[in-house]
Amino acid sequence: MGRGGTIVIGLLMGASFWGCGYNDLQGLDEDTKAAWSEVVNQYQRRADLIPNLVATVKGYAAHEKETLEGVIQARAHATGIQVTPEMLKDPATFEQFQKAQAGLTSALGRLIAIAENYPNLKADQNFRDLQSQLEGTENRITVARKRYIDRVAEYNKMVRYFPTNLTAKLLLHMEEKPNFTVADEKAVAKPPEVKFN
Amino acid sequence: MDAVRMSHVWRLPARLIVFLGLTFIALSASALDVPPLTGRILDLAHVLPAQESEQLTQQLRAHEEKTGNQVAVLILPSLEGEPVEEYSHRVANTWKLGQKGIDNGVLLLIALKERKLRIEVGYGLEGTLTDLRSAHIIRNEIVPQFRNGDIPGGVRAGTEAILATIEGTYQAKEPPPDRIQPGREPGAFQYVIIGIVVGFLAGIVLSQGLRRVRALLGSVLTFMVAQLASIPLGLVAAGFTAFLLWMVLRAKSGRRRGSGPEDWTWYSSRGGGWSGGSSDSGGFSGGGGDFGGGGASGDW
Repeated sequence: MGRGGTIVIGLLMGASFWGCGYNDLQGLDEDTKAAWSEVVNQYQRRADLIPNLVATVKGYAAHEKETLEGVIQARAHATGIQVTPEMLKDPATFEQFQKAQAGLTSALGRLIAIAENYPNLKADQNFRDLQSQLEGTENRITVARKRYIDRVAEYNKMVRYFPTNLTAKLLLHMEEKPNFTVADEKAVAKPPEVKFN
Repeated sequence: MDAVRMSHVWRLPARLIVFLGLTFIALSASALDVPPLTGRILDLAHVLPAQESEQLTQQLRAHEEKTGNQVAVLILPSLEGEPVEEYSHRVANTWKLGQKGIDNGVLLLIALKERKLRIEVGYGLEGTLTDLRSAHIIRNEIVPQFRNGDIPGGVRAGTEAILATIEGTYQAKEPPPDRIQPGREPGAFQYVIIGIVVGFLAGIVLSQGLRRVRALLGSVLTFMVAQLASIPLGLVAAGFTAFLLWMVLRAKSGRRRGSGPEDWTWYSSRGGGWSGGSSDSGGFSGGGGDFGGGGASGDW
């Protein structure tokens, strides 16, 4: 069965090429980039809300200078770090971005916490609206981060697993990508300090 | 009919079927905590009168027919300690409310014990049903009625406000089919091709007597079927091609076993089961919409 054998070998080669994961790797790489853009997008959305929020709080609690300044500075710091998908390969840049955003999260937490001390502020329609939008954005950030974590985990698995790791390392020169860490998650999830005095 | 020979002939397909069956079970059992989507109004706490629930369902169905937007309501006795945002996102993404690519789904989730509720908004409706608008609906339409103890009234007011907000965002291009097939892959054609290749190999395996060829092809097949297992369309193509080729090759080699028509009915009835992955109880099912965490939460 000469011809049959040739067909079988041809199909086998096709199957082995299919299994090398070239297309899958490329697709997953694009997916992680898209997921990252969404993360950045949502963080930007949060940053855009802050000037209004600060202005509103100032109207009722102008003397909470320290907290207000803290938010403004944290925002400036966070928006100062732009991480494009290409820069993601560098764990140090990624770490910096994470830290800056976590810093803004906790500064915002403190700002919302002081609102508890001002019943008029709490009842302000504008403040309530901004708070709803901030909550919504924080939730989107959580979702976007989770998607990014999933995509990167999938991508990293392909980069490490055999035989796709050969395609990734030798052919495409792809490296594992850094991901959000649990330590960072803790910093983000840390409840804001509430002072009773 | 030669029973011994029959069993020999069917051993491989039978194994394949068992393998595929197990794969489907494993795939379908993954989401345990999310209740199955059996209707647009899913009242697991039994707080809505039957008539109210029926009326709202009609309203939601009419809305979908007109705009394509899929809106669903889930009322739970308790969240069992899970954060409302996390759970609601999981439910919405499991049900896949809204049409694929348009993502025009909305979920109104109410947890009675925790006195918490959330409006989860699909990507495609975030522009009209914004976080702010969702928060206003919760704050102004739903919560006041809930505080008075009128759960059905709050659900009705909230649903109507949601529908009024998203009315006119989209127009249904054509009357939506009774049952929207979930998740037809964009690369379906590719999978059909691969399916045909797998089927071709399977056909050869089934008809060849050579042990070595069978062993070799068998291992390739196992690998390919494992990758194909999540794509029913590819599997159907594979099964069909394998069957055709097997019939042809068997006829050629003149080693006919059993009678043709009987084999046909046996195989096709079994083969039909393969595509059963997407058959559901009818009624209402999600169209493949995606959720990115838009919406608002509240309590009462």
